Amino acid sequence: MIFSLKKLTILVALIAVVVFGYIIYASKMPSYLSSDPKACINCHVMNTQYATWQHSSHAREATCVECHLPTDSFIEKYVAKSVDGWNHSVAFTMNTYDHALKISDYGAKRVQKNCISCHSSIASTVMTNADKYHNFDDQSGVESGRKCWECHQSVPHGKVRGMTTTPFNLGVKEVN
Amino acid sequence: MKINYKVILPVLVIAIISIVALTSNIKKNEDDRVELNKTPEISFEDRADNEKWARYYPRQYGSWIKTKEGDAIHDLLDTKSQLSVLFAGYGFAKDYNAPRGHFYAVQDNTNSLRTGAPKDDNTGPMPTACWTCKSPDVPRLMEEDGELEFFTGKWARYGNEIKNTIGCYNCHNNETAMLEVHVPHLDRGLIAAGLPTFAESTHQVKRSLVCASCHVEYYFKKEKYTDKAGKEQIAKVVTLPWKYGLTAEGAEQYYDEVGHTDFKNKISKVPVLKTQHPGYELFLTGIHGQKGVSCADCHMPYTQEGSVKYSDHQLQNPLNTMDRSCMPCHRESEEKLQDIVSQKYVRKDQLHELAMDNLAKAHLEIAKAMEVGATDEELVEVRSLVRKGQWRWDYAVASHPAFFHAPEETLRLLSVGNDYAMQARVLLVGILATKGVMNYSAPDFSTKEAAQGLAGVPLQDLIDAKLAFKNTLEKEWNKQAVQSGVWSEEMKVRVESADENASYIIN
Repeated sequence: MIFSLKKLTILVALIAVVVFGYIIYASKMPSYLSSDPKACINCHVMNTQYATWQHSSHAREATCVECHLPTDSFIEKYVAKSVDGWNHSVAFTMNTYDHALKISDYGAKRVQKNCISCHSSIASTVMTNADKYHNFDDQSGVESGRKCWECHQSVPHGKVRGMTTTPFNLGVKEVN
Repeated sequence: MKINYKVILPVLVIAIISIVALTSNIKKNEDDRVELNKTPEISFEDRADNEKWARYYPRQYGSWIKTKEGDAIHDLLDTKSQLSVLFAGYGFAKDYNAPRGHFYAVQDNTNSLRTGAPKDDNTGPMPTACWTCKSPDVPRLMEEDGELEFFTGKWARYGNEIKNTIGCYNCHNNETAMLEVHVPHLDRGLIAAGLPTFAESTHQVKRSLVCASCHVEYYFKKEKYTDKAGKEQIAKVVTLPWKYGLTAEGAEQYYDEVGHTDFKNKISKVPVLKTQHPGYELFLTGIHGQKGVSCADCHMPYTQEGSVKYSDHQLQNPLNTMDRSCMPCHRESEEKLQDIVSQKYVRKDQLHELAMDNLAKAHLEIAKAMEVGATDEELVEVRSLVRKGQWRWDYAVASHPAFFHAPEETLRLLSVGNDYAMQARVLLVGILATKGVMNYSAPDFSTKEAAQGLAGVPLQDLIDAKLAFKNTLEKEWNKQAVQSGVWSEEMKVRVESADENASYIIN
């Protein structure tokens, strides 16, 4: 009896390996280890974000992950990638996301840090002058506590975010 | 270690069930994605009819039709009268207007005095190749008749087939709307230059290459072939001279190698190379080209309308759309940027006038030398210098504002071109002196009338013949195009009502 149970288990394990292999393929799992912006439109939810980025001046210099993930530490980057990956997978699978995407506080902090790391001279000017205008609690590195895009509203995605906002975008169709 | 199969087996089974459930969920979502990314399909028969795309792409179509607003007629022969001397004996001495919006492409080609006044399919001065960049009907006809067949015969042959102006099918696939070029000369040029083909290029590069299918330097290469009826034919095929690079010097080297000359100047017998419009080539040498900006980035800025964003298809001067074209990248004020552009124009125009004056004088001084007995042998070097000089000047100014796209290259070409003209004129002083002519001063070419007089252009005759053609054959073409379903009645009315414009009609 134990012998045949063992055999059965091995057989089932093999099946499990095969279906796991298939899901790696079907979910395009390896693409998430890359920094290719097209990985972000493996599903359709971020089509608008991709299209607006692709038409922006930031598309010449920065990919999605260069703004949205920590860039100074490999470990922090993969922690963030894992947290986002889990949240996105759950939301997408369970269909619990809104059709107008909004960034999380955790995500916003990371983006703000990356704004500053590229545009540091501008950020330092803002910090020097911050006390002359508003001095909110420091939460993010810029002493006003506000986010860059509260003023620079169009950078880089524009003011639209709806899922049907960029119909027939040619760049999005590149991945087909 | 003892393995507890009674635990592992159910765990594995649960894992498999979960994975299968997840896989089916992924499959469903993937189907959603494909469905959402799908574009409406335009049938193969309808591909060249811009109106047929309108119902699926209302915003793109609505902005595209606004190229009608670019309707100003600017007669360059009037403001740059030297042109009639430089192009004496060639179509551009007759009629040379600054280009208008894409809406007018077919109509301006038809109205130009350069295309003459054909009486039927087999008359007129121009070959079918002159239509190549004007219409989505061109790729349709190439697909229907064959490329070499398309490039055979007179321009008038396709007058009733080519009616839809530059539109959707010139840049887009009719099933997917992806960027696609349907004329084979672009890929042949890219391959000759050792560059990636259109299909191999990135999306960003394609956003320029669709424009480069027309806004480039080209010539009509003669190709012998046997047609379907077994008859020997000669096709005049649009060909890009890119074998030695996308530069003025590279194209010149290619043309010299194949022995190409566009025309012999009627005044001076100089074998002239006429530049078409190497807008793309020059753009690549400029700072925007080198930084990887595409044509569409500035000329088709991303635009918000209500809650929807799309690429503006009203192709025009980006200075009209600075907030969307320039300001997303530049921090300066619009006024400051405009001042910089104006400054570039002024600099170019000074050298532009200088080079044209010297080239025109060189042509007229050669004519004087011929008049007093200079032989062709004596004039070989002078004519070669004028050919080189005129090629460089023309290359710098024939395309859409190269002074903006590539100011350094434009000024370099104008300076070098002017230097060749001056070298020729120095030699001419010597040649004229040996014939006893001292201090010769070329006749006046400061007005269109004076210059066309020197070039022997019978302007009024050309206009009369053109207007007669417009009243007869062109009307017939328009009628036939609507009857055969090539053109919509609505578009015919729209175009005909906007057809009161040509420099000679205004004047």
